[in-house]
Amino acid sequence: MRRPNDRLIAVDGVNGNAMVAAAKHLIAAEKKRRVGVSYWDASGIFGEVVVAEDSAGRPSARTLLLLYAADLAFRLRWEIKPALDEGLLVVAVPYIETAIAFGRAAGLDADWLSDVFGFAPRAGQRRLIAAPAARSISDRKGFVEFGCQQITGAHSGPPRRLLMRRTGSHLRAASKPRKAR
Amino acid sequence: MSASTHSLRALSLRARTHFGDPTRRRGLLVAFEGPDGSGKTTQRKLFKTWLKAEGYDVVTTKWNSSDLIKPIIKSRKAVRALSPEEFSLLHAADFRHRVEHKILPALWSGQLVIADRFLFTGLARDCARGLDLDWVLKLYQPLLWPDIVFYFSVSADTSSKRVSANRTPNYYEAGQDVTQIDDPTVSYERFITRVIREYESLAVIFNFITVDAEQSIGEQHHAIRKLFRDCEQRSWADSNADAVAEWLMMRGGPA
Repeated sequence: MRRPNDRLIAVDGVNGNAMVAAAKHLIAAEKKRRVGVSYWDASGIFGEVVVAEDSAGRPSARTLLLLYAADLAFRLRWEIKPALDEGLLVVAVPYIETAIAFGRAAGLDADWLSDVFGFAPRAGQRRLIAAPAARSISDRKGFVEFGCQQITGAHSGPPRRLLMRRTGSHLRAASKPRKAR
Repeated sequence: MSASTHSLRALSLRARTHFGDPTRRRGLLVAFEGPDGSGKTTQRKLFKTWLKAEGYDVVTTKWNSSDLIKPIIKSRKAVRALSPEEFSLLHAADFRHRVEHKILPALWSGQLVIADRFLFTGLARDCARGLDLDWVLKLYQPLLWPDIVFYFSVSADTSSKRVSANRTPNYYEAGQDVTQIDDPTVSYERFITRVIREYESLAVIFNFITVDAEQSIGEQHHAIRKLFRDCEQRSWADSNADAVAEWLMMRGGPA
């Protein structure tokens, strides 16, 4: 397994606005270092999903995660890796754990999720933003909030709040230090 | 055992019962695979016409055609902005969306689905772009195996001649993103050689039925009819149960 990159900071959570605020706080605190930042949907893929006709059919959790991985590949190529190569500290908002937690909450296999995201370097530092999803729909700007809206909007899958709560639980579990065997 | 695991097992059993019911004609999935210029689209159209005359209810699905994902891929191809990983992931997303919204609903209702290219196209092209087969195969899980895969085998030379006789291959079709060759026709020859090499490996691994696409159109069509008749009574592949169960769960249980 590749070593984590100490200059890559992953900011994960379910509340998009809270994650962005946390990232800005992090960047402001690093006064002496140059910092790069990479936000969700830099590629614009999800913006295009939003404007698609209803008749196109809503994406499933698995489809959304493949799209998330495509967006992450874009972010790595154009934002994260170039900044790391320049010696910058890079804040990725969100990174892999958010996607994996969302997939687990939707019932997808953990091995499948980690394999799909196997192309991405591991972050050396991780921050879990504990804020729950925004109450108002207009304030829901993060991937988990978007994804829950997409897959519960058209299908009778797990209700939205339950899915968000489960995602939060998986994120908390993933952030706990693992006990040595 | 979690509730979702329990539900998936129950739905897998439901899928096996549904597709294994001998009292009705079950849905069939037939894939047409092969390099560009192998004549598979011509054969697919002839096959569809024949099947309809034989009383089958036929649905066709083409590669990269989901209403949701196709525009996303198209706009990125237009500006040549895709890395091999992005290319692969977006095509896998397009495929998954079609499996869930077109292919499985048709199979469940007993229709015969002809896929003009299936996931093997993604595997062959992505591996020709240097990606790892195991990783690409993972993107297409849970796997949905066709009842029959017809592989239209042509040489790289024939494929290149047939394609360049009609048009100039586009940037990604010619593999210019990985060959770095400016001339699309020259790049196509180089890239399609790699793609065919991958297809030939897949044909062995996944037991394709190979059709000699250098034969006449009529000869190929009659061979396909016979091969289809030999294969159509095969029992449903049990390995498809996971894909069907996940789809049933997504739509809230069986119809």
